[in-house]
Amino acid sequence: MDNKGWSLKAGSLLLLLLLVSDLLLCQSVASLPICPSGAVNCQVSLRDLFDRAVILSHYIHNLSSEMFNEFDKRYAQGRGFITKAINSCHTSSLSTPEDKEQAQQIHHEDLLNLILRVLRSWNDPLYHLVTEVRGMQEAPDAILSRAIEIEEQNRRLLEGMEKIVGQVHPGIRENEVYSVWSGLPSLQMADEDTRLFAFYNLLHCLRRDSHKIDNYLKLLKCRIVYDSNC
Amino acid sequence: MINDMCDSACAPEGPTGMDLWQLLLTLAVAGSGSAFSGSEDSSEKPKFTKCRSPELETFSCHWTDGVRHGLKNAGSVQLFYIRRSTQEWTQEWKECPDYVSAGENSCYFNSSYTSIWIPYCIKLTSNGGTVDQKCFSVEEIVQPDPPIGLNWTLLNISLTGIHADIQVRWEPPPNADVQKGWIVLKYELQYKEVNESQWKMMDPVLSTSVPVYSLRLDKEYEVRVRSRQRNSEKYGEFSEVLYVTLPQMSPFACEEDFQFPWFLIIIFGIFGLTMILFLFIFSKQQRIKMLILPPVPVPKIKGIDPDLLKEGKLEEVNTILAIHDNYKPEFYNDDSWVEFIELDIDDLDEKTEGSDTDRLLSNDHEKSLNILGAKDDDSGRTSCYEPDILETDFNASDVCDGTSEVAQPQRLKGEVDLLCLDQKNQNNSPSTDTTPTTQQPSIILAKENKPRPLLISGTESTQQAAHTQLSNPSSLANIDFYAQVSDITPAGSVVLSPGQKNKAGISPCDMPPEVASLCQANFIMDNAYFCEADAKKCITVAPHVEAESRVEPSFNQEDIYITTESLTTTAGQSGTTERAVSSEMPVPDYTSIHIIQSPRGLVLNATALPLPDKEFLSSCGYVSTDQLNKIMP
Repeated sequence: MDNKGWSLKAGSLLLLLLLVSDLLLCQSVASLPICPSGAVNCQVSLRDLFDRAVILSHYIHNLSSEMFNEFDKRYAQGRGFITKAINSCHTSSLSTPEDKEQAQQIHHEDLLNLILRVLRSWNDPLYHLVTEVRGMQEAPDAILSRAIEIEEQNRRLLEGMEKIVGQVHPGIRENEVYSVWSGLPSLQMADEDTRLFAFYNLLHCLRRDSHKIDNYLKLLKCRIVYDSNC
Repeated sequence: MINDMCDSACAPEGPTGMDLWQLLLTLAVAGSGSAFSGSEDSSEKPKFTKCRSPELETFSCHWTDGVRHGLKNAGSVQLFYIRRSTQEWTQEWKECPDYVSAGENSCYFNSSYTSIWIPYCIKLTSNGGTVDQKCFSVEEIVQPDPPIGLNWTLLNISLTGIHADIQVRWEPPPNADVQKGWIVLKYELQYKEVNESQWKMMDPVLSTSVPVYSLRLDKEYEVRVRSRQRNSEKYGEFSEVLYVTLPQMSPFACEEDFQFPWFLIIIFGIFGLTMILFLFIFSKQQRIKMLILPPVPVPKIKGIDPDLLKEGKLEEVNTILAIHDNYKPEFYNDDSWVEFIELDIDDLDEKTEGSDTDRLLSNDHEKSLNILGAKDDDSGRTSCYEPDILETDFNASDVCDGTSEVAQPQRLKGEVDLLCLDQKNQNNSPSTDTTPTTQQPSIILAKENKPRPLLISGTESTQQAAHTQLSNPSSLANIDFYAQVSDITPAGSVVLSPGQKNKAGISPCDMPPEVASLCQANFIMDNAYFCEADAKKCITVAPHVEAESRVEPSFNQEDIYITTESLTTTAGQSGTTERAVSSEMPVPDYTSIHIIQSPRGLVLNATALPLPDKEFLSSCGYVSTDQLNKIMP
């Protein structure tokens, strides 16, 4: 009797130990999504958030490239805009990494913040872009539809980025810094040349910035989600 | 040539003017120099041919030497670049960091010198003079290297053994960091047969493998791939050509050609359709027969089942005919609110006897009784009481009476002996079953929107008794349908009397038969007209009857409810109703009847007076006002 009782107890203890060890082991697996303890909103996994963000940024860059090409074909031929297009964009003041090494070396929180800043800086210009393109003479539908789409997707990307920041770097909420865009008067100029050049410049800057964000996000995704083992 | 691509933007503010002047001077000198030389080629200046970044991390620029054969510039060509960072151009033009790595006449910028999304300007100088300038951004000059590692695999061979599909795979250029997503490449595959000259192009794809369909097995193919950056249009160089040699086709593949078995399908389809058609014809035999050989319409009377004629049930046919007689048979047929009540009458022998008039007359009081005491069942009695069809009501009364009889022969028990018709009732009960109005169940009379008269079972039974009593055909008198005016009251009302025929054999046990016979005899004699005396006699006999009968047509005419009062009075006078009814058959349609309390007779409206007047005059010749007054109360 005694032996049986002891053996039973031992068996149950062993079972308990096994269960506990299993739980602990499961927790230590490295492929768990990065969800810092104490995070409030950890519903969607970081991987999914990044996947969505990358898809959006990819899409936005495609749209802005097409929009720029369309505009170039229609309005900018023979006007020599290219030479003047090396003007600054309003987001040039934000010190974003200029190449791959710099992007890889920067801390990902800073990079995320930079991305957020760039995205915020484009809220206003995109809005005005849509209204001004509508008012253009024979507003081409290709450009207008893409402008509208970009504006919406940019907003969604911003929300997604804020969620990602909330997961990767919760608690720290920086001031909403962004670059102010002051190009609206030139978009509304009466002189057609000036106005068209303002559009050209804006679209050029948009294409550039969307490319930046797309590349940064992809790097970040590889770094954060896949631990640099893409 | 002055490349004015960045005349104002590229160069910093200070030296701009100087540079321009320098350029102009150089040009002038060169021009003059070439003019002097005479046979020189023009524009042998070094100039940029292309600047290219293969992976968005480095870039290189190439230029032509611009050196004529045999003449080499002593002065070396130099490249200077400047790039703008944070809104400001750096002051100094910097010289190319690497003239070697990219080959002859090139400048290579490695990753440390490369900044993406930053505008660059480069200039080429020769002997101190700028010969060419160019401004660009690195992301705009991306031209990837060709893919490597092309190979193919066989996907499948078609059933015919003539065609095959293959899958071609390759690797991205090694220096492009597609894994981390720094650069996104699109690939374009081209293939052709070995002896062809034109390459077939496929759509650009983002993946590193594509299937190629429909290659012929007996041919050899060449495949090559090139890549470009996702959103730019400049392709890189082509990869090495891949030779595709497909296996020989199987020997037996060509012999049998699989043809779609149209023949079989047609045969089976026709067969199936034929089967369906036969089934259809078989199931719809009758209808098709009707369509093809429509039956010749036999003479038919509406409502009469030809089977009746076949079976020899002439009584039923007669009854039907009676119902649908000249008296607006359409009423029953066309009125939607007229239904027919079903009657079950087994023995129809008695129906053959007597005319319609007899039956109607005999059933008159029944009808009145029935009107007053109709049972509350749906046997259609209510249809009898349609005010519009006074005449047809008589017809209907047949039916009604029939139903009443049929439906409730059992109810004759315990009736109030108001009419002392019990014995007759017993006698006639079997015969009542054969009252004329019973038809085959096919005929149904009913009116839905008629209010039902209130009923009292007692009176109802008596009515039935009376009905049964009177339905004895032998007791029926032959009386015309038309009412004759027997008298005219001084007030202008007309007294109606029954027709010529007597109701012979009517045996109300309470009423004075002699009076009746007297009346009737007189009537028979005075066929043409009635004098007021005769009428009076008849009228006096049936005081209440008249009233009651007066009441009755009004019942017929209006939708009124019969109170118990009237019922009892009716019952009381039921014995006389027959004569009264006969005496005052309501004139159809053009008379209106007033109810008067005096038992003197029927009072017609003054409006209808002229007609009765004429009748009266014709019948009686002359009536004095005294007589009229006597008649009238």
